[in-house]
Formats: sequence, C-alpha cells, structure tokens
Amino acid sequence: MTKIARITRRSLMMIPAVLAVTGTAPDTASAQNYPNRQLNFVCAFPAGSGADVLVRYFAEKVSAVLGQTVIVENKPGANGNIAAIYTARAKPDGYTVFVHSGTSIAANMWLFKKPPIDVVKDLRGVQFINKQPFMIVVRADSPIKDIPQLTAYLKEKNGAASYATTATAGKVFGESYKQLTGAQATEVSYRTGPDTMNDITSGQVDFAVLDPVFSISQARAGRIRILAVSSPTRMQSLPDVPATKEYGIDIDQLGWWGAFVPAGTPEPQIEKLNAAFKQVLETPETAKFLNGFGGDVYIGTPQEVQTLLAETVAQWRDYVAMAKIPQN
Amino acid sequence: MEIIDHLATGFMAAASLQNLFFCLIGVVLGTLIGVLPGIGPIPALAILLPITFGLNPLSSLIMLAGIYYGAQYGGSTTSILVNMPGEASSVVTCIDGHQMARRGRAGSALAIAALGSFFAGCVGTVFIAAFGPPLSAIAQQFNSPDYFALMLLGLVMAVVLAHGSVLKAVAMVLIGLLLGLVGTDVNTGLTRYTFGISGLWEGIDFLPLVLGLFGIVEVIRNLENPPGERQAISTRLRDLWPTKQEFREAWPAVLRGTGLGSILGILPGGGAVLASFASYTLEKKISRNPRKFGHGAVEGVAGPESANNSAAQTSFIPLLTLGIPSNPIMAIMMGAMIIQGIQPGAAVMTARPELFWGMVASMWIGNLMLVVINLPLLGIWVKLLSVPYRLLYPAILLFCAIGVYSTSTEPFMMVLMIVFSIFGYILLKFGCEPAPLVLGFILGPLMEENLRRSLVMSRGDPTIFLERPISAGLLIATLLMIGMIIFPQFRKTREVAFQEE
Repeated sequence: MTKIARITRRSLMMIPAVLAVTGTAPDTASAQNYPNRQLNFVCAFPAGSGADVLVRYFAEKVSAVLGQTVIVENKPGANGNIAAIYTARAKPDGYTVFVHSGTSIAANMWLFKKPPIDVVKDLRGVQFINKQPFMIVVRADSPIKDIPQLTAYLKEKNGAASYATTATAGKVFGESYKQLTGAQATEVSYRTGPDTMNDITSGQVDFAVLDPVFSISQARAGRIRILAVSSPTRMQSLPDVPATKEYGIDIDQLGWWGAFVPAGTPEPQIEKLNAAFKQVLETPETAKFLNGFGGDVYIGTPQEVQTLLAETVAQWRDYVAMAKIPQN
Repeated sequence: MEIIDHLATGFMAAASLQNLFFCLIGVVLGTLIGVLPGIGPIPALAILLPITFGLNPLSSLIMLAGIYYGAQYGGSTTSILVNMPGEASSVVTCIDGHQMARRGRAGSALAIAALGSFFAGCVGTVFIAAFGPPLSAIAQQFNSPDYFALMLLGLVMAVVLAHGSVLKAVAMVLIGLLLGLVGTDVNTGLTRYTFGISGLWEGIDFLPLVLGLFGIVEVIRNLENPPGERQAISTRLRDLWPTKQEFREAWPAVLRGTGLGSILGILPGGGAVLASFASYTLEKKISRNPRKFGHGAVEGVAGPESANNSAAQTSFIPLLTLGIPSNPIMAIMMGAMIIQGIQPGAAVMTARPELFWGMVASMWIGNLMLVVINLPLLGIWVKLLSVPYRLLYPAILLFCAIGVYSTSTEPFMMVLMIVFSIFGYILLKFGCEPAPLVLGFILGPLMEENLRRSLVMSRGDPTIFLERPISAGLLIATLLMIGMIIFPQFRKTREVAFQEE
C-alpha cells in the first residue's frame, strides 16, 4: 500500500518522457477558465489495445470540444487497479480523467482481498460512454440455433461438454447461465477472443462466452453465430440477437464504460466535462464508432454514473461469490 | 492471371502521390523508431493512431504498416552495432550480427541484413497476394494441443541457439520459463510470484528484461575490456560492402529464412518470433561449420533477418483474411481499420479490393524505399561506432531508460531493468547466454496456457496431443530434435557445435 502510494506520487512528478513535448502551465483550476491547460486521460490498458483505441478516440474528440490538448497516459496492470489508484491519488482539479469500464472498476472491489481504493468514495463518475453485453456464441455450422437448444444439448452431454471464456465478465455470464438452467459444461479460459477462434470453429469447445467486439466481427465474417446477449433487453446495434431474459433466464449483466475523476473534484469542472463528453457521445460518428465495439451509446448525469457505480459494486459481490472466482 | 490484375489494382492505388508520401513517412518514422533502442513500434503506433483519423483509410493503413516493417529494419541496426535488441525478433540478430561488428564487419552485417530483409519482404508480399486465403485456412487448423506442441518444439530449438554447453542452454531455457510464469494466471485469475508488487501483475515486461540482459550488460562488458582494435573502422564503401565470400554464404540462408518466415508468420501468437529463432537453428544445424556460429557467422545474420521480415509481412494474412490479429501490432492495425469503418476480414478483399491490394502493393514499395534509404546510411551507422565510449555508453543507457520508462511510465520498470542488468552480468561471468532465456520467457506462457487448455478439454487425458495429426507430427519433430542434441552420431560435427568454449 505505502509502496504503491510512493511510486504513484513519484511518477506524478515525472513528465512522461515520450510525451514531454507540451509544457504544463501553472495550475489555476478555477471554474471560469477551466480547462486552461492540457488534460490527461488515464487508460488502464497498454498502448494499442482495443480499449486504448477507444480512450484515444475520446481524447481526440473531447480535446476538440474543450479546445485543450488531451494526452492519453497508459497505466496498465493489476486488472486496472494501477490506473484507478493513480486517478484516485491525482489532484482533484478536473485535469485527470480516467476513461475505463465502470464494471471492471466495481468488480475489482471483490476480486481483491484488500482492494487498494474504495471506488465509490475515491472516484467520482462524470459521464457514461457505452453499455455492452457479453455474448454466448457457437460455431457457424453448429446444429445449435438458439439458447433452449444449447441448454438441451448440454444436458444431453451431461457434463462432457466444454466452453471457452474470456475476461471475468465472460466467466460470470457463463456461470450464471449454467446455474440458472442447470446445464453442465467445463470452462476453458482464454486470454483474448482471437485465442479462442480455432478451438471454437474446430469444435474443441462446444460454445463460448465472448466479448462483443470480437463476437460481432467474427459473426459478420460468418464464422460464429451469436445466440444471446447478457443485457436485459436486446441491443440497439444488434436487434436480431435475443437477450437471455427472453428465454426466462434472469440475467442482467450489462457492462458499461464511463469517465471518472478523483473524488473532491469541484462540481463545475465535473459538469463541464460531463457536457463535453455528452457533446461527443451525441454525434452519429461516435454512435457508429461505439457500435463497432459492440455497444450502444449511453449518456447520463454525473449523479447517475455514481449511482450505477455503487449498484454495480453491490451486484459484483454476488457474482464473484456465485462464479467462485478466487480473490487475489 | 488474376493475381496480376489484383496487383495492378494495388499498385495503381498505392502509387498515388499522396500514398507514396505517407508510405515514405511511415518507413522513415519506422526506421527511426527501430534504431532508437527501447522505443518500440507498439507505443509509436498507438501515439500516431489519432493522427490517422483524418486521413483516408488506405493512406493511414499504408503509413501504419510502413512504421511496422520500417521498425523491423531499424531494429536490426542497433542489434548489430550495440547489441541492443529492441524487440524479440532481433534478439537472434545480436548473436552473430554484433560479433561481426566487433570484428570490424559492421557495414557488411548491416548490408546483408538490409538486402536479406528486402528480398524477404518482397517474397512475403507476393505470398500475401498469391496464397493469403489458403494460408490462413492452414493457420485455422491449429488448435490448443497443436500450439502446445509447436511451443515445445520451439523451446527445444532454443537450446541449439547457444554455442556453449547444452546444460547451460537448458538451464537458461528453464529460467526463462520460470520468469514467464510471473503474473496473473489466465486459468484461475490468481497471481503468481508477484510478491505483492503491483508492477508484476501482468507479468515481467519484455523490454526491461531484454534491454537489461543485452544492452546494459554489453556496456558493462565493454567497460571491463575495451575492444582494442576499435580505431581501425573504415568507412570506405569497399569495406562497408559484403565480400564475395560473404555474399556466397548469405544468399542460401536468405532463401531458407524467407521460406521459414513466410510460413511461421501466419501463425497467430509467437509465429513471427519463432521464425527468426527457427531460422538461426536451421542455419546452425545444416552448416558445414557450425563452430563459427556465435562468432560472427554471416548466415546467422542473413537467415534470421530475412525470416523476421518475411514473417512481418505474412503476419498481415490472418488480419486481412480472418480479422484475427496475430500480434499486438496487428491489433493496433485492426483498431485503425475499425476506426475507419472497415471491418477487417475476408470481406475487405471483395468489398474494398483497392484497399486490400493497395496495402499489399504499398508493402513492396515501402520495402524498396527502405533499402534505398538504408544503404546510403550504412556509412553513418558504422561511424556511430567510432563515437567515443564516454559519449556512446551514457547515450545507450539513456535510451534504454527512456524506452523502458515510456512504455508504462512506471518507475518500477527501471528497477526491473537494473535487476536484469545485474542478473545478465552474472550470467556473462558464468558463460551463460541469454538468448535461450528470452525464447523460454516468450514461449513459456503460451506453452503453459495451451497445455492446460488442452488438458481441460480432454478431461486430463494426455493422448489428446497424439490424436491430432498436427500436434503428433510436431511432437515427433521435437523428439528428433532432442535426439540430434543427445546422440552425437546423428551429426559428426556435434562435438564441435556443443563444445565447451
């Protein structure tokens, strides 16, 4: 703990070497002239990952709205905790913005024995970005056409089936589905969607629970079929794919992204950021961009973000217990 | 002659003034990034990505691709001159390339690397054009058990990389495997060997490891025994250019390296890295005089350099035909395509032929530009070696530090680099070579993941590795390789190859 604190503070003092092109003006973070200098967006993923692309998209667009340079700082590691700690300990002046999955921030409260920050108290929600479900998929030439057929197939196999998952959200969705339907199958974990592909198409695994970005691109290419999404209702961007709830399986696991600032950031700054993100989110270009990532645009007030964050924290306590995910 | 039509479409699209310009910017930037040790193509591409939002899709992809293969070119320059690999695939180039430089053949090594890369790049491009879709079908046949067998074969090959004792090489591979285990385990989500240090959660970072083990140890080594004949570097063209003898040794290795690289490049995962290691192993195994490997063998530069460049080209195949990125760089390219509203995959080829073939053609143009840019620079690079030590060494240390810090802006990465420098110095004193360790480090986690995955799927039945023809074939190849190492009668020269130095 103290070690992390020290490292973070020290890194705050250092200007990232590669980005050391822009000087920082003296800090006069009053509401009227905010923002009057460069903003930093914190990204919890390494440069170049899919999520990094999303953060950089918003950095570019929000920069245009606010008329200030926005720099993306990659702080990968510890399942997003390093970036969350970094944000929580940053100066609450509205110049450090953490663009990340609210679901992942909330889940980390339960995935660690000693969570390094209390996310609801230490972070403050600014704006939503999108909501995206996880997806149950089968290979394109599979005889299984929908969720009831999959359930029947798994029951017939009586435990001899297996399925691929990526990410904690995939684990939880897969486990919920099995427990609520009584189907049995062995879980095989993969690091990323692309890693699962050959094992799915060759039939080594019977089905898979995958992230939306990868599922949609592979479904369009005709290699897999999406059977259901984990959201409570169908997604606007995927009107043909049913939600698991439509089959009477009570699952409501919608992942969401948002922008967060350190707790204690003044309200006017939060409002201004909220409006800047909103302006970007309302463009058709952003809708198209986010649909490419398998999610629908999601817009709200700072208070709504904060409320959903608290609710998501509560939900994940149950998920982690149900899916028997070990704590670190 | 459909392929000629396709290539014609591509060249028309790629040869517009605007696209040529972006291709040039890409390869120049890439070369610079490759030459500056530590600043790899991944952060560079990520930082430049937003700039491409405003460009048309083809120009932006041409530029990003140019940065990627330009960096492959540039990376070999620092490997050869100062023993500092910027990325996994140039680790192998260090082994013999740097030895050539120490013997005053730096210019020749650079020229061979550049020409070999150019040839391999051209062949790789034709490969994509002619066999893209059928090759990706082969790559799709690889399942978890097959990957495990492939990684196992790769690890056994790693032993051949060392020119010292077999035992030490095996030990290095094992240490590499153990280092690769650090971090979060995919199967359970639990962390291993992190000692509560958050910087180790995602595993040990590649850059601090490789810059510590190679770059900084090289500085220390030179400080201990400064190379004596160093003033004698000549920059006359005649001395920079490879000799007839060197050309004769290099070209068959270039051919073999290109072939190996083109095939291994299409495999997602460690394919491109395996290519350069596999090529080195092959050259050493078939050489009439394996003893010269590790002391500046021309084939040890020509083969792996060609292999990694052709693999760099063919690693576009899974992305362009299946929409599956085979490495982090391809993942960025995929991001760039999605931003432009293009869904990567086979549809690109039919729906946007000018885009697909334009990119393929631009790779050929880019490779030509790289040779034209790099050959005249040979003299300048070689002169770099005559920079006084008191300036050169601090500069190397500075670049290592900047490179490592900038990838994650975590000071802990510096600590890691220092730890690996000390460890590398100890290895040097014990006569252990770090190259097999690096291969173990990279392949280890992939091997473990696929092993456990296969066994989960088979409910713990190990015969899954023998049932599939690909994995069974690879396992047999592994056994043969072990046999070649253990039983001297397989090769007359084995005693020479593995003699204690």
